[in-house]
Amino acid sequence: MSARPPIDNDTAADSSTGPTVTQDENAVTVDVTTPATATATVTGTGTGTGTETGMGDSPPKKQPPPEKASDARRRTWVILSFWLVVVCLGLPIWWKTTTIYRADLPLDEMLEWADGKACRPVFPLRIAIQADSLHEQEAQNLLRLTQHALDDLNDFSGHHLRLQLSPPSATDDKPNPNGDDTALTIRLVPGEATTATLDPYAPILDISYPPNTIPSATSSSSSLAAYVANQLRSTFAEEQAIISYLLSTNSMPSEHRPQGLTPEAAESLSKRTTRSLKYAPTYHLTFSLLTSGPLPSSWDIEAAIDEYMKPVLDVLSPIHNFTIDTQVQLYATPGVQNQVLNKEDLSSFVNAAEWPLSPSIGGAPTVNFILFIGNQTIGNAAQLAEGHDPDNESTTSPSWLIPQWGTVYLLSLPHDTTHVSVSTLKQPLLTFTSHLLSLTGTPQSGSLPLRLSTLSRIRSADLLLRASSTLGSLARLSLALPSISIPSSVADGVSTTMAHLRLACETLGGAEGLEHARIAEAEAERAFFEKSMVGQLYFPDEHKIAVYLPLLGPVGVPLVMGLLNEIKAWRKRRRARAEKGAEKKE
Amino acid sequence: MRQLLSFSLLSFFSLCFAVLTAAADYHEQLVLRPLPLSALLASFNFRSNTTLSAFEAHNFRFFPRSLGQILQHAGTRELHLRFSLGRWDAESWGARPWNGAREGGTGVELWAWLEADTDEQADHQWLTLTNALSGLFCASLNFIDGTRTTRPVMSFQPEGDHPNATDTNTHLLYGVLPHEVVCTENLTPFLKLLPCKGKAGIASLLDGHKLFDASWQSMAIDVRPVCPPEGEGECVLEIEQTIDMVLDIERSKRPRGNPIPRPLPGHELHCDTSKPYHSGDTCFPADSTANQDWSLSQVFGKTIKGICPLTDPNVPPVCLQVPDSRSVYISNGGLEKKNQDGMSRCFEIEPETTNFELLLPRPEDLPADNLQAGQQVENIVKPETPLLYAERSFTGHGQERGGVQTILRNPSPDKEVEFIYMESLPWFMRIYLHTIQARIEGGPSDHDPLVQEVYYRPAVDRARGTQLEVRMRVPPASTVFLTYDFEKSILRYTEYPPDANRGFDVAAAVITILSPNKNGTRSATYNLRTTSLLCSLPTPDFSMPYNVIIFTSTAIALAFGGMFNIIVRRFVAADEGPEVSVGSLKQKLVVPLRRIFARVKPGPR
Repeated sequence: MSARPPIDNDTAADSSTGPTVTQDENAVTVDVTTPATATATVTGTGTGTGTETGMGDSPPKKQPPPEKASDARRRTWVILSFWLVVVCLGLPIWWKTTTIYRADLPLDEMLEWADGKACRPVFPLRIAIQADSLHEQEAQNLLRLTQHALDDLNDFSGHHLRLQLSPPSATDDKPNPNGDDTALTIRLVPGEATTATLDPYAPILDISYPPNTIPSATSSSSSLAAYVANQLRSTFAEEQAIISYLLSTNSMPSEHRPQGLTPEAAESLSKRTTRSLKYAPTYHLTFSLLTSGPLPSSWDIEAAIDEYMKPVLDVLSPIHNFTIDTQVQLYATPGVQNQVLNKEDLSSFVNAAEWPLSPSIGGAPTVNFILFIGNQTIGNAAQLAEGHDPDNESTTSPSWLIPQWGTVYLLSLPHDTTHVSVSTLKQPLLTFTSHLLSLTGTPQSGSLPLRLSTLSRIRSADLLLRASSTLGSLARLSLALPSISIPSSVADGVSTTMAHLRLACETLGGAEGLEHARIAEAEAERAFFEKSMVGQLYFPDEHKIAVYLPLLGPVGVPLVMGLLNEIKAWRKRRRARAEKGAEKKE
Repeated sequence: MRQLLSFSLLSFFSLCFAVLTAAADYHEQLVLRPLPLSALLASFNFRSNTTLSAFEAHNFRFFPRSLGQILQHAGTRELHLRFSLGRWDAESWGARPWNGAREGGTGVELWAWLEADTDEQADHQWLTLTNALSGLFCASLNFIDGTRTTRPVMSFQPEGDHPNATDTNTHLLYGVLPHEVVCTENLTPFLKLLPCKGKAGIASLLDGHKLFDASWQSMAIDVRPVCPPEGEGECVLEIEQTIDMVLDIERSKRPRGNPIPRPLPGHELHCDTSKPYHSGDTCFPADSTANQDWSLSQVFGKTIKGICPLTDPNVPPVCLQVPDSRSVYISNGGLEKKNQDGMSRCFEIEPETTNFELLLPRPEDLPADNLQAGQQVENIVKPETPLLYAERSFTGHGQERGGVQTILRNPSPDKEVEFIYMESLPWFMRIYLHTIQARIEGGPSDHDPLVQEVYYRPAVDRARGTQLEVRMRVPPASTVFLTYDFEKSILRYTEYPPDANRGFDVAAAVITILSPNKNGTRSATYNLRTTSLLCSLPTPDFSMPYNVIIFTSTAIALAFGGMFNIIVRRFVAADEGPEVSVGSLKQKLVVPLRRIFARVKPGPR
């Protein structure tokens, strides 16, 4: 801007000797523009403002000389090129540098898994029929009829029992010739009456039948076939109920949902599933001897475990591994000091703040078994109502199970006992064993091998559903929070999960399926709980304004004003041209 | 006399040790020792054993399960953990308890021997160990990362027996957190590890209020395997928990409900009547050691609640180190046993006792004119002189450079002290090794160099700290100054902790005094630690990033606006431009406003 004083035209012509003043009839104190023919708008408002106020009283207002067309055009180009740089370079760079990295997730597929559309859980159970005493054709016929009867009885398509004839086994000590894929073997033996017994040590159902019940080749129904079908159905009823309960609690589409699950049954199943621990390949078992006083301070726990608990642990070993540790804690004060514990006291009995029952180090969950030496007893509601009835007390069990945590067993011993012997530990350990089975979610009916094979199927269904629903949650989360960052490790986790889910879905029911479901579940959890996703979750808008406004405000205002003025001038020019055209026409 | 005393003390402790490892699985003992200047040293010691086979089978009886699992999980052979607070005043309190082996520098200190095949595996296990211990003890041990971990070469020697250990598979790692404030939440898990849980036995005296109010306190946990000589039995894993505290008796005796100190009324003041100006209205306070009188319940706030039934009956639970000439009152159920040396006595407590109280009355007042300097001291056991005095401080000024000076004084008139001085400094203190020098006060007096060996591992920025180990000696009755210079780094914005202006704590230096062994080698006999230092780094103003944004934005906007206007605007003569005056501005504002009003407010009709 000019620092020179503005010079009044008339006086300047006479007196000025300054070199910058041209002795022209249009003398200007010019820096930029020279007189031009084109009409021009004065875009600047600040030029020479400092001195103009003094001239307010001079009535004739001078107009600046018209602007050159080339200057106006140049200004337009300048403004346009600035805007071009801002829009084509500035905005993309800003966008690129400030966007949050979001890896591509197969959201639709993930939601499909969560809705159960991707996989229809089917548990084909193969049941072998061993009928050594029957002719092949008779046996085939019986098989066909039984299968029919079964299909008629079955109302839940996910759980399918398929019969097959096993070749007559030569030796009895090899009862399961087909290996692992056979869930149950039915041994048909001729006898006097139709009876069925479940072998307690192997997955074998022994059915004896009177010889006259063998269906002929042409008959379309047979009482034996119906009997076998009913037996099978009742054997697998609990498994079916649990699996259909699992499916119904997850967001499975209704057509897969089984009917016929009464509310009471559902409630008892829900109690059992909430009670059982989350599946893990390894569990830590912690046996704690807690005493309210200084005695007893030692116990024969190792021998007792070997004697009473080891057999069950060995049976469970194909599904779970167990590590065992034991501890003795003296002067342990329970959370409740009442002499007789009622139902409400049981939940606060375990003094979590003071008892060193911290979970074991390592990834596996801990199951706590507490043997509390003290003279407290559990009273049931009836007993509490009628006061202390010594006869009733003996019937109450001295132990209770804490869902997903473990068991407490109250044991009262004479005051001067210093050592707890194996025989004293028998009853507590048997209780612990049965509670362990229910904590791992083992079904309650049937023979032990059958219960365990059922357990592995339930577990794989559970894991499969859990992983699917985690996937769904992740998909919904990424849809609901557009500002959350999704690192590529999450995408990797998701793809691994889905690969394993697919494999698990194909091999459901077998050991392989369990393994795949386990990997899928672990991967899904890892992807969902990715740490770096949470860090940038909240970045408030105030911060963004505080960062951007100091720059964008002062830079943006001249740019926007320049553009607006240019648009105004352009419209004015167009109107002028239009007027001129109209004049010409006239 | 002093030597005799120390010898008898040592032999007493070693005797206890020998008996215990052989006999019982658990023992506990409290040793009380009045110190000069109205202080009382209370040393609690708890030791329990488990056989290695039971430990490996996860059967825990006296050994705490929570700690045992951590040790197994991290493959730890030997573990030492320290929580300390305050400063041991060696000038007045003399030698440290346990010869300094059971104390740490201010904050938390941890060192462990880990079993691992490679260094990386050892680092990984160390990480597991620190994280697990941090959860167990409610301390920020998980902040012991690579920058705070060193592998000492000379300073630490294993205390336990490691029959299968070789140099390649056993790794010593040492981490220290000088900033950690030790508090009640660290005491609670400490007590939980004890078999009797602080509910019976001497542990019932421990109370966070008193422990952390002490002038100096150190909690230690030491786990080490101990093997009997030549296969006489099974190796055991021993856990030793120690709490040493120096209580200010005057302070501890203040009632809990009225903790504010108030001036005593004149007749209760203890005056030094030997002063010439002593009169009714003038009083020079007498040396308070002479007037020490206290009871357990006054000092600790409670009495001992019986004895822990698991403890070894052969070890007296409470010992008091005062001369035999003083009388001590105990409550019923206690039995006093004086030791041979005439300087200490122990008390047996009968199992049925529920409250054991001990009272040390003021010594019988001697007539004022008989009171002489020598006699006063006889009321307490005179503290033993330590082998070395050490103090460390910063020198220099400014925010760029600084120096560290350690003053090491050997009080012995005839014996030279040889020791290892170890510093583990944070990486942002870049030391200049060439400036390290040791000089004797008053110039060199003999020919041997003071510094005999230096192990130095330089820091790597943000990855590891400096490790400096110096083996040096101090000649008899002389003072040595060890100095070096360092430069302070500038940290990144996010590397400053909250409250950065407080400064950065620098861990205590560890001094391990070596003495020749029977078989010719030198081994550690005494440990001491200097105080920790507070190093102030150049600290930025933390609104800086926003200021920078505003400042650069303004500069850019100014430059851009000016340039843009020059390019885009047209310049005309002042009188040719549109008129700018208050009137025209008003007009510009008023016209649109009126238009808006007219639109908003419909006419009166």
